[in-house]
This record gives sequence, structure tokens and C-alpha cells, in this order.
Amino acid sequence: MIALRSRSIFPLTVAALAFLFLGLFLLYPVYSVFHVSFLDQAGGFTLDNYVRILGRSFYQQSLWNSLTIGALATIATTAIGVPLAFCLARLPVPGKSAILVLAALPLVLPSFVGAYALVLLFGRAGIVTQFLRDAGLPVGSIYGTPGLVWVYTLTLYPYVLLPTLAAFKAVDVSIEEAGQNLGASRWRVFRTVILPVVIPSVLSGALLVFMETLENFGVPFVLAEDKPILAVEAYKLFVGEVSANSASAGVLATLLIVCTTSALLLQRYYLGRRRFATGARSAPPELQVGRGWRALATVFVWGVALAALIPFFTVLVIAFMEYRGPVLHPHLSLGNFADLLHRSSRPLVTTITLATAAALGAAILGVPIGYVLTWFRSGVSHLLDILAMMPFAVAGTVLGIGLVVAYNSGPLVLTGTPVIMVLAYMVRKLPFNVRASSAILHQIDPSLEEASINLGVSPARTFIKLTVPLMLGGIVGGMVLTWVTIASELSSTVILYSPAWATMTVVMFEALEGTGAGIAAAAAAVLILATALPLLLVYRLLRRHELALM
Amino acid sequence: MTAIAIDGVVKRYGAVAAVAGISLAVRDGEFFTLLGPSGCGKTTLLRMVAGFADLDAGAIRFGERRIDTLPPHRRNTGMVFQNYAIFPNLTVAGNVAYGLKARGIEREAMAGRVERALKLVHLEGYDQRWPHQLSGGQLQRVAIARALVIEPEVLLLDEPLSNLDAKLRVEMRGEIRQLQQQLGITAIYVTHDQEEALAISDRIAVMRAGALEQVGPPAEIYSRPATPFVAEFMGTTNLLTGTVTGVAGERHRIAVGGLELVAHGSAHSAGSRVTFSLRPETLRLLLPGEALPPGWARFEAVVGRVELLGALTRIELVAAGDVALRLAMLDLPPEPVAPGRRVALAYDPARVTLFATP
Repeated sequence: MIALRSRSIFPLTVAALAFLFLGLFLLYPVYSVFHVSFLDQAGGFTLDNYVRILGRSFYQQSLWNSLTIGALATIATTAIGVPLAFCLARLPVPGKSAILVLAALPLVLPSFVGAYALVLLFGRAGIVTQFLRDAGLPVGSIYGTPGLVWVYTLTLYPYVLLPTLAAFKAVDVSIEEAGQNLGASRWRVFRTVILPVVIPSVLSGALLVFMETLENFGVPFVLAEDKPILAVEAYKLFVGEVSANSASAGVLATLLIVCTTSALLLQRYYLGRRRFATGARSAPPELQVGRGWRALATVFVWGVALAALIPFFTVLVIAFMEYRGPVLHPHLSLGNFADLLHRSSRPLVTTITLATAAALGAAILGVPIGYVLTWFRSGVSHLLDILAMMPFAVAGTVLGIGLVVAYNSGPLVLTGTPVIMVLAYMVRKLPFNVRASSAILHQIDPSLEEASINLGVSPARTFIKLTVPLMLGGIVGGMVLTWVTIASELSSTVILYSPAWATMTVVMFEALEGTGAGIAAAAAAVLILATALPLLLVYRLLRRHELALM
Repeated sequence: MTAIAIDGVVKRYGAVAAVAGISLAVRDGEFFTLLGPSGCGKTTLLRMVAGFADLDAGAIRFGERRIDTLPPHRRNTGMVFQNYAIFPNLTVAGNVAYGLKARGIEREAMAGRVERALKLVHLEGYDQRWPHQLSGGQLQRVAIARALVIEPEVLLLDEPLSNLDAKLRVEMRGEIRQLQQQLGITAIYVTHDQEEALAISDRIAVMRAGALEQVGPPAEIYSRPATPFVAEFMGTTNLLTGTVTGVAGERHRIAVGGLELVAHGSAHSAGSRVTFSLRPETLRLLLPGEALPPGWARFEAVVGRVELLGALTRIELVAAGDVALRLAMLDLPPEPVAPGRRVALAYDPARVTLFATP
């Protein structure tokens, strides 16, 4: 059966289409970024750009800042995520399922809204800052490293929490008992067996956090102030306040790719050497602990989950308050929304249209790839696996720059069109779609398909008539998640948008640059509601298909 | 080494008693098997000895020392788990050394002990392998080496062979028995497989619904089952119910439908309903002209289905119109046996088990 399937034309067709798509809209743009970084004014080969950029301490500093802030955020999310996962897996904490819903939210809510909320509260003119200052208390600055690490930790901790929680639950109870039976105390078993088995999952989550901080554009744009950050400086060079400089931007983009790719390869290398299959038959039971421990765990778990959502609540509340210029007045008002809509309702329509198109496109491309990767084993599928995960290593800003450079002239001109934005989103969300459909497929018994083929239905027809309907719930759930994350995308959008096709995130971005704090809050509120509502609607679907947000 | 005294232990899960007050004495160096269908409480009882299930009542002692109050890691029992529970993050040597490290054994001594343990289970040279590189049988050997290397007071085995294929299962059970004899260690073995239990044990406890049904050596459990449940659980049998029509000493005449059979057993009065077990291999075909051995009983039946299993032949019979019986014999059946033919059968009434209660 397997032999028959691997000879069929279906996987080859899927692979060919995937190679074509990613070749055109991922590899070629990335190549363009490399290429342009080695060009001089006349179009000849040169290393001058690298010498010039890397020689300036400002840009050295940006690399250093990006890496240290990323490292600090990774350490902080791990320090919070792992104990949190343990509490949820093994301790009697009330309201676990509610916690899991809340914990998944920060990943899909736009992170720079979180950053913005922090500025509104604790910034120079922040509400809390002013209150404290009036009370005569000095307030430290949240701009720069502390604020960035703070926001990253609270918005990205679920990346560590979710895989670690799954890993803690996947350690079969007999492993733990075997350790104790051999004379090791509970703590010793935890240290010598449970933790080592869980660590690969912790690391894969931690790595996601690190890559996310490297590529994030919105949070440092709001919070970094004078501190140079790689992704932001690449954008500034590319957009060019004085004159656009794509060669110099290309150098920074290349640096960014080198960083993210090394992190990805490091993780693959490490995980490749330690893959522990435990295959839990029975998940370990909750530990019997005293009332004190239980209270402590409850406070910790609920504290983190709520603290991560406070910024978003804050923005919702502020959006309904009255702003006169940059000054907040404590009256309820719909003025901000009136201002927002008075300008134009077009960004909202654009956001919905583009996100829908891209979510559809990513699913149409990602589901067949996930299918081929799950059920066909060959050299082609191995190559496809690597290729489909590559968008991970390319920051949104870099992909944006690459697409603009690659398609602003020549036979295919896409720069400035909404098509280029949709393509960028599709490329960026492909890894998630591929993984999600693999996860869904793993829950379907392959013998169902074999039975269908055995009964005379061709493999391609079987896929459409049997497999897709079985996967449908999962696919829809995955598409909603994709939609939601695209709606709050900023890092490639900010490079690719043209004024006619500005999205909600762009509106916020521009309002933040200016003085329209009220409008930005209203836009953020609209965005939060537009992302949270569909998520809550499909939540059951996601649970049934065990879809995670990564 | 160590005798185990289990004294009135109880384990309740809600309203259900998984173990409903069991008392057992496992002798020093004995291979003791807990046998029963799934859900009978055998695994729970084993886990109570290991310390993974708390006792609601009763006590467990190793020798004179009470151990049910100790945490599991202080009981010094070596347990082999059903799914092996090999630590996936450690090599074979790391797995075997785990318990020694927990006991703070010195490095040099440890290496020697690990090597000897691996040699004991025929895994020399596998010390640096990772668990995912091993087959099921090899994982099983690692699990046994790991349990034995700590020189436990008792060895506990929880259905250790259920994940292996049939051939390997027979091979491994022989090895486990041999190791246990060689080391003279007290062992408690849990299984639902009666053949395995018979093959490997010094004594067997048959369990049912959280209580002991019968405790005894394999031969006794098989040939002198205490209850109809034990008789049926220990291999196939003809379990018959009839009315006593006459008693002469221990010899009872019993009418089953239209058939009159003879069984030896403790006294039942005439007219009472009784149940008895007649093992298929106890029945013998009586060839034409063959004499009936002295004291044996004889009756006739019609041959139904004949099943050839190679070394063994199973024959289904119907006697007196409606009494279905099974017969098992070594080798192929003699000429006259064919479906529909009438044959004569004989058996020794002393080998019939007549149960005390109906």
C-alpha cells in the first residue's frame, strides 16, 4: 500500500507546487536581499556595505541589543513557563481549563498593543506614572531593555508553557514509579528523569521565543526609543527618512537571517540527538500537596495568566475614554471610535479581506504539504519538510524587504499591490499550517484511506472525498488561528503596504508615531475584539483537534 | 532472604473495593504469582507492596519489618513494569546504574555491578545503547537488570511479558524463572495468563473481584480447583451441573440431563444440586474391544466437530441428546472418530472435581 502510494503522482505534484511557490516568494526574495547587500552604487560586487555598516558602533550595538534582549526574554519566559506548566500538569489548581484558554490569548493578540498599553500606563506621560509622580514617588523608565523584556515575557510565555505542559503530561506514570522503586526520592526522579525528558520541549518553546523577539518589529518600535534594535534599524534604513538605502538594509537583514537561522539549526541539532519517545499510557496523577503549596500554585498560575492580559484590558478601557490631544480625561466616550471611523473604515475592511485571502491561501498550500509530510516518506518529503519550515527563520521585516526588492521591477511587478501582502502572509503562516495539518492527520487512522483505495477510489479522490472531510474541523480551526495572527501582523506589513491598502495595525502604528493615542487605542480595541471573538467561537473545534498555537 | 506477610489489606476506589481484605504469606525465596482476570485487583495488590497504592487497612511486612508505611523509594523492592518504563533519556548502562546512583554506590563498584547485571540478562556490550535502539525483548532484559542490580529484598513483576510476541514470551518466562532460582530472591509476579502462571510459579493465588479465590501450587490449582471460577479460569473444562441420585462414601452418582455420571468428592446428600468440573483431557476414547480400567466410569456420546491442532486434537461431543462435552487428546484421533459417529468414553471419577457449594 505504501509503495503504491509513494509511486503515485500526488506527492510529486504537491512538492512541485510547494517548491515553485516558496522558490518564487521566499527563496528568491531572500536571495535578493543577499544580492543587494553585496552591490555598490554602480551595481558591481562589493563588501563595502558590510564594512561600513558593521564598522559603525550604532549597528554593532543594534545586533548586541537584539541578542541580549532576546536572551533575557528567553530566560524569563522559561523561568515562568516551566513552573507554570508543572503546576498545570501536576498540581491541584482550580480552573485549569479556563487558564489554558487565557494562556493561549497573548500569542494571538497583537504584541505591540501590549507594548503600547505599557506605555499608556507606565510611559513618560502614562496614567500610573502621572499618578505616582503627583503622589511624589519617583518612577523608573520602562523604555529600553526592561520594558522590552517585560512585554516579551508576558506575551510570549505561552510558547514555553504549551509544549512543556504537553511534555509533562506525556511522561508515563510508570517512568516516575520505576525511579522511586529504584530508591530515588521524588525530587531526585524529577531532576534525573522527568526534567531531562521534558527539556527538549522546553528548548523548542524557548527557541520560538528567541526567534520571535529577534524578528519582532512593533514592540521595539514602541518601547525601544533610542536603543537600536536590528529589525527596526533594517526597516529605518530601508524606508529611509533621508534616502532609502536598500544595500545597507540588506546587510542588517542578512545579519538577522544569520541569527535566526543559527538558532533554528542549533535547536534542530540538539533535538535531533535527543528525541525521547515516552508514549504515555496513563498520564501521571496530580500530586497530593498541602494547602499552602496549593494556594501558592493557584496565585502563581492565575497571576501570570491575568498579568499577561491586563495590557489588553487596559487598552479596551482606554479606548472608551476621552482624549483631548495627547491628554487622557477620565470620562467615558465613544469619541476615539468616532475619530477612527471618521478617518476611514477602509483599514478594517482591508485587514479582514487580506487576512481572509491569506488564510485561505495558506490552508490550500499547507494542508496538502502536511499530508505529504505525514504519510509519504521519501527524499522529496524530507526536502519539503526543511523548505516548509524555512519561513520560520526569515523575519517579517526581511521577507518584506526581499519581496519589495525582488518584485519592484522586471516581468512581475507586485510592489505596492495587496497581492504582495497576501503572498507575504501566506509564506509566513505556512509552517504553522503545515504543522497543524500534520497534527490533524496523525489523529486519522491511515487504514481508513487504505480501505477507500482498496475499494477502488483513486488516492487523489480519496483525499478529497474522505480525508479532507475528516480533517475539515481541524482545517477550519487552523484557518481561524492563521486569520487572527495575520490580522495583527505588523513586521512585514509595515514594509509592504501602500497607503490605499493600510491595515489596522498600520493605522495604529501611524497613530503612535503621531499624537493620536486615542485613535490608536480605539484601533487596538477593534483589533483585539476582531481577533478574540473568532478565537472564542472556534475554541471547541481547536480543542477537539488538539491544535496548538505554534 | 525475605518472606512477605500481607495482612488484611484493603484498597477502595470510591465505593468499589479493588482489594477487599487480602491476607497472604509469601515464603522466603518463593516465586509467587497473582493470577486473575483484568480488574480482579492483582495489580493493585502488587502496587501496594511496591508502595504506589496506599493501604486503606491492613499491613505488609518484609520479614518482621513493616514496610507499608515507608515511601516507595525506601522499600528496596525491584519492580519490572508492564511497559518496561525504561528512562528514555539514559543509556542502557545509565538505566541500570540509576538505582545504584540513588544509593550512593561508588563509581568503580557501580561499573562492575552494572556489567554483571547486564551479563546476567545476556546484554553484554549493550551498555552504551539508547533505549530507542532496542527491541521489546531487549528492553525487557534492561528492565530486569535494572530491578535486580540494586539487590532488592523482593522482585515485583507486573505482567512483564504481555508486550512480547508469543515465542519470546515463552523464552523470557523461562529466563525469569531461572534467574529467580539462581538468585534465590522472593518474587511476586502478576499475570492474567494461566499458562504462564502454571509454568513459572512455586505457588499461585487466583484472584477474583478483589478477593482470593484459591492459593496453592500450580498442580493443585489446576487439578483440584476450589471453585467453579478457578476451574474455568485455569484452562478449558467441562463445567456441569446436575442432581445427586446416589451416594456411596465419596462416590456420587449425578444425573446431568439424561446422562448419569460419577464423581468423587466431599459428601453431598441425594437430591441436592451440585456443580463439578471434568477436564477435557480426563475424558478418554474407549476403542471397540478395549477394557474399562477398574473403578472408571463409562458413557456414550455422538461426535460433533473435530479440531486438529497438531500435537493436540479437540473433539466436541453430545451425550444423551443435550449434554455438550469437550474432549482433548494427544496426537491424531483413531479411525472411528468422525462427525456423527457414536463413541464410547471413559474417565477416572477421582479426577473429577466436585465442588462443595452448588
